[in-house]
Amino acid sequence: MTNDLFTGMGNLPLLSADLWPAWVAGGAIGLFAFAQRWLTDQPLGCSAAFGNVCARAGSRLPLFQGDAHSPATDWKIWFLVGIFLGGLFASVSTGTWAAPAHFGAFYDALMPQTTLGRIAWWLFGGVLIGMGARMAGGCTSGHTINGVAMGSPASMVASMLFFAAALGTAHLAQFLLKLSGGAA
Amino acid sequence: MNNPSPIIRNGSFLLFGIVFGFLLSRAGATDPALISSLLLFQNLHLLWVIGTAVGVGAVLNLSAKIFHWRNLSNGQLISFPHKPFVRALIPGALLFGTGWGLTGVCPGTAPAMLGEGQWFVGVILMGIVLGTWLVGLAHHKQLKRIAKIDRHPSEIHPR
Repeated sequence: MTNDLFTGMGNLPLLSADLWPAWVAGGAIGLFAFAQRWLTDQPLGCSAAFGNVCARAGSRLPLFQGDAHSPATDWKIWFLVGIFLGGLFASVSTGTWAAPAHFGAFYDALMPQTTLGRIAWWLFGGVLIGMGARMAGGCTSGHTINGVAMGSPASMVASMLFFAAALGTAHLAQFLLKLSGGAA
Repeated sequence: MNNPSPIIRNGSFLLFGIVFGFLLSRAGATDPALISSLLLFQNLHLLWVIGTAVGVGAVLNLSAKIFHWRNLSNGQLISFPHKPFVRALIPGALLFGTGWGLTGVCPGTAPAMLGEGQWFVGVILMGIVLGTWLVGLAHHKQLKRIAKIDRHPSEIHPR
């Protein structure tokens, strides 16, 4: 028996277990998002950094020339670099780094079976994600984790629509897969 | 932040990112199979993750408002910058949700997934940059259209 504070956690080694109980992981993310605002007064967000990437890559489009994507906000890009390193550390510490990607039965059945087809699928999905996040002014981190927690009406609407569209897409896709006799 | 040097600011956010990426990975948010089982109501693990994160955040935000907590960077009250309602929010959120549902990836989890060695996310990241740029292009065209409309009266009444 360990004398951990987390009842129900048993002997789960927190640093190397590859999946934490939902309330531990969620609580830590909620604490983290607030701690970042307490320390820096900057709200959590991920998708605006891609506008900075466009500007730094040489785009002269006016959308990327404003204050939101100025060189003074390039910490947004460094935040994403940090997320990359965090994922690397998480994966290395469980010994699962670069394990073959496992998409699950649903995506395996839904995605095209050829490599080229999958590349096109991921590129198309990425374009939808990038366009949608920029048009909506944020993504799941900025609108949902951050905006809903501070009671922002626009973020609540955006988050409901994120989930509605994702649920609708998944259920429609599953329905079509069943019609066509695929397994999901 | 209270104008620290860019190196300190960028370095702090690099560290914040490492923590966030690690937590997203431990939460299971970087696993497309777990995302699809949330969307198909087969396994609600990620719903509880998001729910707990939002709940903890809401309690802390309310406390900060009621007790006037100050931030550490400049000693001012912690701000609550609400994102604005923009006209593109509704179609944008629907496009975003569709892309998220089709791939099981979002802009925050994508870099963490790449760090985990899920190489396919490199293609999605390129797509996200392209999609972001396309919105910039559409915005530019819209500005040009508005400029043309503004010029119109002088064309009707030339001096």
